[in-house]
Amino acid sequence: MMVFGLAMLLLAAAVAAWFGPGAPLGAVIFAIHPPFLNTLQAGVQRRLSPDLWNDAFLPLLEAPGWLVPLLLGTLFVLLGWRRRGHG
Amino acid sequence: MHFHRRRGWEIPEREATPRHLVLNRRALMAAAGAGAMLSAEAQAQWLFGGRSGSPSDPWARNPGDLPDLPEAMRNPRYQPGRAVSPERDAITFNNFYEFGSNKDIWPTALRMPVRPWTIRVDGMVEAPGEFGVDDLIRRIGLEERVYRLRCVEAWAMTVPWTGFQLSKLLDIVKPLGSAKYVRLETAQVPPHMTGLRQTWYPWPHIEGCTIEEAANELTFMPVGLYGRPLPPQNGGPFRVVFPWKYGFKSGKSLSRITLTDQRPKSFWETLQGNEYGFWANVNPDVPHPRWSQATERLIGTNERVPTRIFNGYGEFVADLYTNLQRERLWA
Repeated sequence: MMVFGLAMLLLAAAVAAWFGPGAPLGAVIFAIHPPFLNTLQAGVQRRLSPDLWNDAFLPLLEAPGWLVPLLLGTLFVLLGWRRRGHG
Repeated sequence: MHFHRRRGWEIPEREATPRHLVLNRRALMAAAGAGAMLSAEAQAQWLFGGRSGSPSDPWARNPGDLPDLPEAMRNPRYQPGRAVSPERDAITFNNFYEFGSNKDIWPTALRMPVRPWTIRVDGMVEAPGEFGVDDLIRRIGLEERVYRLRCVEAWAMTVPWTGFQLSKLLDIVKPLGSAKYVRLETAQVPPHMTGLRQTWYPWPHIEGCTIEEAANELTFMPVGLYGRPLPPQNGGPFRVVFPWKYGFKSGKSLSRITLTDQRPKSFWETLQGNEYGFWANVNPDVPHPRWSQATERLIGTNERVPTRIFNGYGEFVADLYTNLQRERLWA
């Protein structure tokens, strides 16, 4: 858990350095694999709900690309820290 | 050549649509009409008040008070060979990525203002210009054509478009001999086009064709559908239709046409070039990477029928491709 958390923190730093601190998560994903978001959007909007994409996925994708790995990394590092008996 | 002069009160699809579908449509329209009367205040609010709710009537007028289309004669040269799809299906089951990936984007699209609307025609032409849609309608005149529409997703419709041949617009701007391709650019209208929030995509939406395809008699520029102004969800106020190609090639809500000697890279080529190529001619024998194209589902009846090469328009367009066998013509 701790290793995964640290890896995510490293990923956050790498994303900020490579794509720039202001690059949205969507732009990062699109640069890595262009068809992915289109397929995901079609799946969410056609099979689940159009609003789910607009109100939940889009705000996440519009956030800076480093934010999600930073939050996940911090969460997992903290959980790992507590598991080792430090918390 | 014989033209049937359609009178103002006639509904074009009555001539081809089975009676039970017509009656269904009447019932739906009656219900919609009643709904409109009951909720006129609510509709006025969403049309002009900018509230975030959804319109309930797909026949609602667009913001900007669209003028009625002048009378247009149906061109009998293009026989669809099957029943016209119910109008309600055609205007409520749409692909228009700028408004979303789902089919029911019409409530969002209907809010897009469509007047004033101009289209710039530039690039390798003698007489570039910016034209108002209504000016073009008056200058070129309109006709109605019933075309089969084949989506790459293996569904199909048959719809009566009102518009004019792209070649008539090209006659006005006079392409230079060096022009080889036509680049078709969709307007960007934030905030109505919610898809534009996805800034990582290569907006504006670009489509393209060769100058020979643009000059082909089938290439049509609709400004109307079922005798009414073309609604935004169907690409209004002004779009292109290549009936022998998969539907995604037919750019919607166009704001610019550029003649060029460089082959345009289309929006979908950039996103998923292995699935959505430049040519995208309909062929039942060449499957999409994820599904078969051998048959198509008719919207309205759900009947599944065999797909035809060039969507059945081979007699008009097959010659365009005789020297292009090395190209990926079918995807």
